[in-house]
Amino acid sequence: MKKGSLSKKDVAHLAKLADLKLTDSEIEEYSGQLSSILDYINQLQEVDTSKVESTHSTIGLTNVYSEDKISDVQKLKSLKHLSVAKRNGKKYFAVKRII
Amino acid sequence: MNLHELSIAQLTRLLEGKKTSPEEIYTSFLTRIKEINPKINAYLTVINKPELDYSMRDKPLFGIPYSMKDTYNTKGIRTTAAAKVLDNYISPYDATAYTKLKKAGAVLIGKTNCDAWGHGSSTENSDFGPTKNPWNRDYVPGGSSGGSAASLAADLCSFSIGEDTGGSIRLPASFCSVVGLKPTYGLVSRYGCIAYASSLDTVGPMARSVEDTALVLEVLAGADSCDATTSQSKPPRYSQFLGRKIAGLKMGIPKEYFMKGMDDTVASTIAKAMKDLQKLGVEPVEISLPMTEYAISTYYLIAPSETSSNLARYDGIRFGTTRRSFGAEAKRRIMLGTFTLSHGYYDAYYKKATKVRTLIKNDFENAFKAVDFIIAPASPTPPFKLGEKVDDPLKMYLSDIYLVSVNLAGVPALSVPCGFTGNKLPISFQLIGRHFDETTLLNIGYQYEQVHGIYERPRIK
Repeated sequence: MKKGSLSKKDVAHLAKLADLKLTDSEIEEYSGQLSSILDYINQLQEVDTSKVESTHSTIGLTNVYSEDKISDVQKLKSLKHLSVAKRNGKKYFAVKRII
Repeated sequence: MNLHELSIAQLTRLLEGKKTSPEEIYTSFLTRIKEINPKINAYLTVINKPELDYSMRDKPLFGIPYSMKDTYNTKGIRTTAAAKVLDNYISPYDATAYTKLKKAGAVLIGKTNCDAWGHGSSTENSDFGPTKNPWNRDYVPGGSSGGSAASLAADLCSFSIGEDTGGSIRLPASFCSVVGLKPTYGLVSRYGCIAYASSLDTVGPMARSVEDTALVLEVLAGADSCDATTSQSKPPRYSQFLGRKIAGLKMGIPKEYFMKGMDDTVASTIAKAMKDLQKLGVEPVEISLPMTEYAISTYYLIAPSETSSNLARYDGIRFGTTRRSFGAEAKRRIMLGTFTLSHGYYDAYYKKATKVRTLIKNDFENAFKAVDFIIAPASPTPPFKLGEKVDDPLKMYLSDIYLVSVNLAGVPALSVPCGFTGNKLPISFQLIGRHFDETTLLNIGYQYEQVHGIYERPRIK
């Protein structure tokens, strides 16, 4: 992949990595659109960041610890969360066969 | 007197004096929704039978009907993020913001349309059709929280909870002439809010006045054990600071924001608002935010990277439909983020952007050594027409030019209506403050509102 442009082959590869199924016309369209977006955001390369640290938390939080126990709020009672799965049993949800 | 036109404080007074009931208020809004919503598509879900709990009578928002962007989990109620992937998803749990509002006595009347997953600036990326601007239905309401802003402008709720990752509260607030607050990152819990970009996402109130906004914020703000990114410090009672002296406060005017590309009417309307603020005693100071030109690029590297990771969980196995249901903009951002995080490009793109983010944050820190708050337009142009930018994603991204720096720096910003174009399209300014200094922004916005007068409402034919 060349910086600042994405060929149709690149887009097809990215779609595979992201588990997205794209049609040929979508691949063509995204190749053009993503290339022009990358072209624009490549302006960042001109900024000198050699002495700059990364920012991930803007309010200066680091390593927030909590007690190793689950509160009632965090716990979804009686496996209710499984009820929203399309293929579910009583105590599990089903996945596609992988082997 | 129409109940749906009254402020929170006015409704509360009527309720306390037993001049009306929560049922009567709710019915007033619901009747209005049935009449107006088909014309503007602000709501994706309307709750016809509310749960009115009279044991909440002494709570601050008792009996006040409100809407939430459809990105919040609300137990037993459909939650879609305006995405077909979640078409049939019924939340099994409550978001913290929803829990807090319930405990404050407020009543959810519906869930509002938005750009799917919060991806957009016009609400045209909703998988359930766009919302239309109540001021002129040929125009967009802004996005991504466009349904929330439109529901307020059209008096279809008393306040609304939006979500702001790169301007998604402030742009629609500006386009619909309502008030919107993007709080400091970490002030309000994001637990149960469908994630777009986790280092930028903020939960905030939208309302028809600054006072209403302050009343809702004091219910929402505060630490939450379910969201480790919330600040542990105790938030103030914001409404009690409204009306305190602002004379002598220094107002920063960033020269980079008042340059090329700004619409003439927007420029002259903001200039008039700045004069009004000076009459209240604030002192203008020219400042510089030199990294402004890199904000959009930085944002469109960090946000898609984080969204590609956040949307990876939608596999159709535990909930939702398959990944085939993603709309065009979601796919575009997932692929952009997948690229910028991929091996060989991570350092050049994602990591580079996190470093430029530091410089953008430093810009604000430096500015706040000299000034108490910053004023800026919310948008360089008035609302644009439906369809005007949909075929050009980059052009759409540039709508957020004055908004995204605030999210990258994590600082708070309040969008306040200040006028209209000749065609009656709304214009707003935003007030940007120091981390956790919502108090100053709300107080200045409130005093401006007293001078400027109560906002007009659109006539919807």
